[in-house]
Amino acid sequence: MGSSNHSVSLSVKKFEPSQQLKTLAIALTALGFLGFVIGFIKNPERMWTSYLTAFFYVTCFATGGLFFVTIQHVAKAGWSAGIRRLAEGFTAFLPVTLIGSLVLLLGSGKLYQWTRPEILEASPLIASKTAYLNLPFMTLRLIVFGALAIIFAKLMVGNSLKQDQNGDESLTTKNTALGVAYTLIFAITFSIFSVDLLMSLLPTWYSTIYGVYTFAGSIQSTFALLILIMLYMKNKGFITGYVTIEHVHDVAKFLKGFTVFWAYIAFSQFMLIWYANIPEETEFYLMRAQGGWMVISMSLLILKFIVPFLALLPRGAKRNEGHLVLVCALVLIMQYVDIYWLVYPTFFDNHVVFGFYEVALLAGFVGIFMLTVMKFYQTHSLVAIKDPRMHESVNHHVSY
Amino acid sequence: MAKYKQGLAAIFLTEEQILEAARKTRERGFTKFEAISPYPIHGMEEAAGIKRSWIPYVTFVMGLVGLSAGLGLTWWTSAVNWPINVGGKPLFSLPAFIPIMFELTILFAALSSVAAMFYACGLPKVNPPIIDKDLTCHKFAIFIPEDDTGYEESKVQEFFKSLGASEIKKTEF
Repeated sequence: MGSSNHSVSLSVKKFEPSQQLKTLAIALTALGFLGFVIGFIKNPERMWTSYLTAFFYVTCFATGGLFFVTIQHVAKAGWSAGIRRLAEGFTAFLPVTLIGSLVLLLGSGKLYQWTRPEILEASPLIASKTAYLNLPFMTLRLIVFGALAIIFAKLMVGNSLKQDQNGDESLTTKNTALGVAYTLIFAITFSIFSVDLLMSLLPTWYSTIYGVYTFAGSIQSTFALLILIMLYMKNKGFITGYVTIEHVHDVAKFLKGFTVFWAYIAFSQFMLIWYANIPEETEFYLMRAQGGWMVISMSLLILKFIVPFLALLPRGAKRNEGHLVLVCALVLIMQYVDIYWLVYPTFFDNHVVFGFYEVALLAGFVGIFMLTVMKFYQTHSLVAIKDPRMHESVNHHVSY
Repeated sequence: MAKYKQGLAAIFLTEEQILEAARKTRERGFTKFEAISPYPIHGMEEAAGIKRSWIPYVTFVMGLVGLSAGLGLTWWTSAVNWPINVGGKPLFSLPAFIPIMFELTILFAALSSVAAMFYACGLPKVNPPIIDKDLTCHKFAIFIPEDDTGYEESKVQEFFKSLGASEIKKTEF
């Protein structure tokens, strides 16, 4: 083949997390549980807002990883065969997504105005939405979202894992069909999930682009996380040859693309509301333009779009590992700020709050994510070694 | 029309041969040679020593020009030359201008990239010399012009033979 001038040595080692990594994951999880219990007793409102923010933030990686796997199958992508398993690992968190969303319902009285009878009585507008916004139906929707994600992850990732053992190429064909089905299901269920969990915090307000907005941020941050994990696995020597700077470069292109996409959607949502200037629509942005929230709003524009976009523009930047680590870290932080920005202004007028509960609950979900994903990486091969398109991935080469 | 250069062309039949030939030609110190193939070959950039194109810089600069042009156009028409109060909004309303600025950024960047690509490739070429009509189908060629450093016809002939060329032609390109 043409790239025979690249001599590639290929090897995959069994993933074994270092002791520090294990300790860190357990410590973070413990801090999360501690924050949950203390908050539950002392300050339930702050605890539940922190819980919702952190839960949604981490869930975005699990569903984002599944979405990445899905589109690779739909597109019959060859270049990504060597890195797909790393994204498949994110789906190990999905059972926690299902359980976590049901736990969240315990706090629905604190979070969602539409669950309180006195509010429904005072506001006929909100009361008229209870055909959709009611707890039994919301519970059902959350179960459907979580269950479908788990089922499709089990099927698609399961097929990929089975292929590791028997090398059966028909499993790849099956995954294409599953991928097409899940692309549609994901679009609908993830939109509903975002509307239920985040948009209904302000039940009088609505935006038809909301699901796309959360999706854009979710996928942007998933790519940032994927790059960090690829670099980690490559540089710690767990994977040699299957993951190269060529793959990192392509995922970085995806990261840049979704950075632009997020900004495009965010601006589309903002501009239409700003231009039409209808009171029931502008309340969302008015809350976020007052007091300290304006600073957060502007930081999203600058640090979630302008800086990462310019930082990822040159080709050399997408192939510079140290530079990429910084950009990915920035994107991951700003994705949290984004979800925080969607949740908090509803509860805290004019003043920005951030403290123990936010840190603790975020630590908790990140810890659980690390534990579940590390367990997946430990149990399975880090590369889908018998994928029929692996030769394309191994010889992948980004031309000028 | 651009003038074509005289030189020697070697025809090869396989992708491996042309990659090897391009690498050896570069290693011999030739800099103005062309490697001709019916389709893109992975690894050819390194083998032939092709540097990155300068077109992305044109795209970037013209994108910035388009961005400023969009801002200038909307500002001048809405706030200076013909101010109209729209919905009580300030005359200079940046959010309303951004779609125009975005569109002009894309338009300027895209069109100037295409124009730069035409210029860089010397297009359009009307009636270009044909070294071998199969070069658009299944054959590959290396062409070394006679003004290249260290060009000496007999030596180049010998060099091409040593690379395993299936045919050597004195031609222009």
